[in-house]
Amino acid sequence: MEFSKFFNSSIKLNIILIISFSISVNSFILMPTINNSFYILFHLTFIYLIFYYYHYYLYLVALVYGILLDILLLNNIGAHIITFLSLLMIFVLLRKYLIRLSSFQIIFFYFITLIFLLLFEQILANLIHSYKFNISSIFNFILISLIIFIPTIFLFTKLDK
Amino acid sequence: MAPKFQIKVFQLSRFIRNFTIISVVTLSFLLVFFSKTDYYLISGIKNLSSSVVIPITRFISAPVNVFSNFIDEYNQFRSLKFENKILQEEIIRLKKWQTLAIQNSRENKVLKKLLNATDNNLTLVKTASLINRNDTIYSKLINLNAGYEDNIKTNMSAINERGLVGKVIDTTSNNSRVILLTDPNLSISVKSISDGIFSLLTGNGDGKYLVSSFVKENKMPRLGDIVVTSGTAQIFPVDLLVGKVAKVEKNRFFVLPFVDFKNIDYVQIVTSK
Repeated sequence: MEFSKFFNSSIKLNIILIISFSISVNSFILMPTINNSFYILFHLTFIYLIFYYYHYYLYLVALVYGILLDILLLNNIGAHIITFLSLLMIFVLLRKYLIRLSSFQIIFFYFITLIFLLLFEQILANLIHSYKFNISSIFNFILISLIIFIPTIFLFTKLDK
Repeated sequence: MAPKFQIKVFQLSRFIRNFTIISVVTLSFLLVFFSKTDYYLISGIKNLSSSVVIPITRFISAPVNVFSNFIDEYNQFRSLKFENKILQEEIIRLKKWQTLAIQNSRENKVLKKLLNATDNNLTLVKTASLINRNDTIYSKLINLNAGYEDNIKTNMSAINERGLVGKVIDTTSNNSRVILLTDPNLSISVKSISDGIFSLLTGNGDGKYLVSSFVKENKMPRLGDIVVTSGTAQIFPVDLLVGKVAKVEKNRFFVLPFVDFKNIDYVQIVTSK
């Protein structure tokens, strides 16, 4: 029973991951905010999966999505794959401390992780592939994150029942 | 017997877990390394992503595409009356220009005959249609439905009826990827038509304007000057239309590209003759 519950929520989150990935890599030129929002939703879902449904298959998920995001958005492998794997490793190291956090602290930590992840990707893209660091895009990401963060948490909690 | 079996299964699953984690981490670092050195593996992954992943993602994101198109049509419908008025005015203006253009064309033909000049410095490699675009987050890239089987090679120029669109940066068997002019990581060497001022232009990051990153002898072009490729870097053919100078500041100037990057359906891949 418990296993089936875990399995269901995990599958639902993985479906969200696929949909958000697909939408974020297909530019809708008239509504670029859609791409940015789903790009952030992808990150939010991935962090949520790591926080609440950690399993070693997530390393494979990180590898596949990391490669695809890097190739489709940057045409070079590097920034996303390193960020996702680093996040997984950091989570394994910090897991025993994270369990002790209160729900409010976890939400705060979740948001900080998201912003850090987006920032880290930009920095890595700049360092590895010399992509210009785009401040306006970072501000855009932060703004969208602020808007969609609470509704996303609400949606995920509903999915988890 | 049962506890022993359980321990063995536990140890095996632990081994699989550790093996997966170590191999994934190693593989990813190898891929990052290989992506810099451009090995066959990376080209295969890119090929796979273009031919398999992109169609799947397009299928999944189709409802959003329908919604986006619906919003676009609604907006177009709302501005129909206003656009109609503008178009009528433009027709009158264009009719005057047409008369002048026909006269100039006749004159050109005669002059070319006198000079024995050739018409075009471009060789058309392939006309390709756009299959999807990734120009919102990070780079400004478009994917085309033609690749090295159609003789498309990296560094070839992509143009459309309005002017220079970008440069081919990657090709697979049936797909190729073009970096748009508006990408901040692409530099093009240009010259202004009226003064012949040479400069380097890059994308401004807003996806709308190109901004000068270097101007030879710090001579600024005039507002409204037309900018074309200079051909000095030997990547882009000479005299391809780029845009019009829209803003001039003390040390830099902004160019509005002729190409409407929001409406690209087909591009032509060309090289110099």
